[in-house]
Amino acid sequence: MAEKTETKTTKRRSHRGNSLWHDAMRYLLRQRSAILGMAIIGIMVLIAIFAPLLATHDPIISMLDVPEEASSGIRRRDPPCIHLLGCPEETPQHLLGLDSNLRDLYSRIVYGSRYSLYIGFASVGFAIVIGSVLGAVGGYVGGWLDNVIMRIMDVLLAFPALLLAIAIVTVTGPGLVNALLAIGIVSIPAYARVMRASVISVKERDFVTADRALGASQINILIRRVLPNAITPLIVQGTLGIATAILDAAALSFLGLGAQPPTPEWGTMLGAERNQVFTAPHLVFFPGFMIMLIVLAFNLLGDGLRDALDPRLNR
Amino acid sequence: MKYLRLFSALLVILMLAGTLVACGPSGPEPTEEPTEEPTEEPTEEPTEEPAEEFVPMSYSAPDCDYGGEFQTIEAVDEYTIQFTLCYPDPAFPSKIAFSAFPINDTAYLEETGGGGDVVDHPIGTGPYMLSSWNRGSELVMTRFEDYWGEAPAADTLIFRWNSEAAARLVELQAGTVDGIDNPGSDDFDVIEGDPNLALYERPGTNIFYLGMNNTFPPFDNERVRQAFAMAIDKQRIVDNFYPRGSIVADQFMPPSIFGYTPEVEWWEYNPELAQQILEEEGVLPGFQTTISYRDVVRGYLPEPGVVAQDIQAQLAAIGVEAEIVVMESGSFLDAADAGQIDGFHLLGWGADYPDATNFLDFHFGRGASDQFGAGFEDIWAALDAGATLADPDDRYPHYIEANELIREHVPMIPIAHGGSGTAFRADVEGAHSSPLSNEYFGVMNPGDREQLVWMQNAEPIGLYCPDETDGESLRACEQMHESLLAYEIGGAAVVSGLATECTASDDLTVWTCTLREGVKFHNGADLDANDAVLSYVVQWDAAHELHVGRDGNFTYFNALFGNFLNAPE
Repeated sequence: MAEKTETKTTKRRSHRGNSLWHDAMRYLLRQRSAILGMAIIGIMVLIAIFAPLLATHDPIISMLDVPEEASSGIRRRDPPCIHLLGCPEETPQHLLGLDSNLRDLYSRIVYGSRYSLYIGFASVGFAIVIGSVLGAVGGYVGGWLDNVIMRIMDVLLAFPALLLAIAIVTVTGPGLVNALLAIGIVSIPAYARVMRASVISVKERDFVTADRALGASQINILIRRVLPNAITPLIVQGTLGIATAILDAAALSFLGLGAQPPTPEWGTMLGAERNQVFTAPHLVFFPGFMIMLIVLAFNLLGDGLRDALDPRLNR
Repeated sequence: MKYLRLFSALLVILMLAGTLVACGPSGPEPTEEPTEEPTEEPTEEPTEEPAEEFVPMSYSAPDCDYGGEFQTIEAVDEYTIQFTLCYPDPAFPSKIAFSAFPINDTAYLEETGGGGDVVDHPIGTGPYMLSSWNRGSELVMTRFEDYWGEAPAADTLIFRWNSEAAARLVELQAGTVDGIDNPGSDDFDVIEGDPNLALYERPGTNIFYLGMNNTFPPFDNERVRQAFAMAIDKQRIVDNFYPRGSIVADQFMPPSIFGYTPEVEWWEYNPELAQQILEEEGVLPGFQTTISYRDVVRGYLPEPGVVAQDIQAQLAAIGVEAEIVVMESGSFLDAADAGQIDGFHLLGWGADYPDATNFLDFHFGRGASDQFGAGFEDIWAALDAGATLADPDDRYPHYIEANELIREHVPMIPIAHGGSGTAFRADVEGAHSSPLSNEYFGVMNPGDREQLVWMQNAEPIGLYCPDETDGESLRACEQMHESLLAYEIGGAAVVSGLATECTASDDLTVWTCTLREGVKFHNGADLDANDAVLSYVVQWDAAHELHVGRDGNFTYFNALFGNFLNAPE
């Protein structure tokens, strides 16, 4: 009996899934902005993976510790020097210039992509796992458990996200991992709510009722029937959430609560050089531009995914 | 039925409101009573007292065994105060001119209990009196019309603050402030090139050092500290991160102040040897530590974050992994003084008065805080010997010895004497920078404007300066409070203050100061010798009921005058 339902439903699910994902992908690829977003993210991921090959210098080493550089008359906050563009040959080449501690800005930017992507994916992953478990349990079980979980989520939502993150980091102490956890914690309620809403709408569907009538266990129904059908809004929310997470992490680092120096995290770099906005604008421009770029990319992709996966927008 | 329910609900609400109202005032009531009572009594008494008869006040230590400098502080008559010291002190005038020893009104001290309001609403004798202190935004002072000296030109003096050098400069350029402290290292040329602005360079009468606390291993090992002294390339730090006019420090004393001994040479930069020693002592490989600092710009440390990262990089080069810890300014100083900071800490010192005792005794003397851990008896002995002699030629050899011993024990690594400066709008007359960082705004005239706005690095912590050590607080106090003597404006020579003169006995142990007559406090009270005596006694006697202050440390008194009377064990 159990075996029979198993094969039957897998067949049905794979058929449904295929067409849904297929449609979504096709529609996603029709949107230029989503493709642009995917392309930027793809490039960023490649930069992050191949950072050691792309970087020209060690991102945390001061050029004063490199004898041939130190003797060449370089000064801190030197603007970009690119030999191809007419920078004198005797001056060492630094594609994006030097920062206040005489480190190569280009190499720091390149390595910085690792931290931003890591923070984005890790904190959102953390939030999705915890949030969707809480939301699914709440939505599926209902009753007082649902009430307790969702009221806790409401309390979390009542605080401005960044402020709560700052409070958490203040308690746990500054650092990249703590900032990441703080951002993860403050974004849990969003996923819990999305998950709960979809679970509630899915659990009353006929195929779930049918499973229940056939005697499938609660856990089985939740994991095999309800969750897969509730996951689409989570993907959209997650993609957009990565953008927010990267931005929040940059804000925390800017405030000195996230990645600690000399980590080449973009927010930290921006915070450390904020006084130089008039005297050495390149030190503020490039990290700021990179944060903007990656956040924009995730937002574009998230918007595209939402349009592609939203069943109400019937095309 | 419906009405009954409504009525009962209303009744419940009313009762709740009633209990709230009843509970509310019962809290503040008892606290109000005691504060009100003393305000009435002492303010009335002193106004009557001088009319009757002046009863001179005298305060003595039973003997000199308690380890401090004062034996007796007494009012001889209404305008004469006499200090009897346990040992001769040639720097005594320099010390009593310092703004940590202002003269407060007796009645006001008693009224406030020596803390609380005296910290927030100071009453002094200075040219400006406090109008309002909006914490977090500005400190507003107005001209004191009954000031004994020359009245200041500007009606209002406003202190504002911003920790960012760039932001301070922008405000100055925009004309929203008249003067700023510590322009950024890169902005010196910008200011000089601007015809509307004027730059006043301040010589490096300060020291920036890398402190270590010798109670935490491995800093308890002298060889390890010596190794770290060899591992830091000071020239590189000064060349790259300090403004012009800064010099590499090869000892704690800055060259322009007595106590600087060129005979003593610091450890030579030798990272290979440093690494080798650290390996021999078992510290390396794998030593992890911290570099703590406060993100506050001072003349001795114009760019804390950048310098901290460079020191981090230099330590990394010999295999020491150091994590950077940024702390809030107040808690950083408190933790440092209490000897709680493990690892390295970045701190500095600016001259308060031009003598070796201000630098060396404060940090390494008997009365020094636990900042560097346990003190060194041989340094104490050398400093005690130097501090009690009168003739500079006799004192000098003791300071050679002291500086040599500091080099030997390495309680800290001196790095730089930072040049800094102030910048004012070009039309501000009398603008200056002081080598002691105590710019005096009473002599500045902002032209046709009625108010003078000064922007410094940070907000004052408190305005009862006996219990402050922070230069930003002291500068604010100096506009409102006065000490027995004063420093020449824009210089370091001692001139008359509330006392017209102070004379010493031949052996420099009895100092007699004659007070100015007709000096009034901001609350209208007249200055007499008893005010001066009490102002010292509340600092001196740790058991005195008015020995309260902001946090009760009275760090300067302890450091400059050896010890408190009745010091807690």
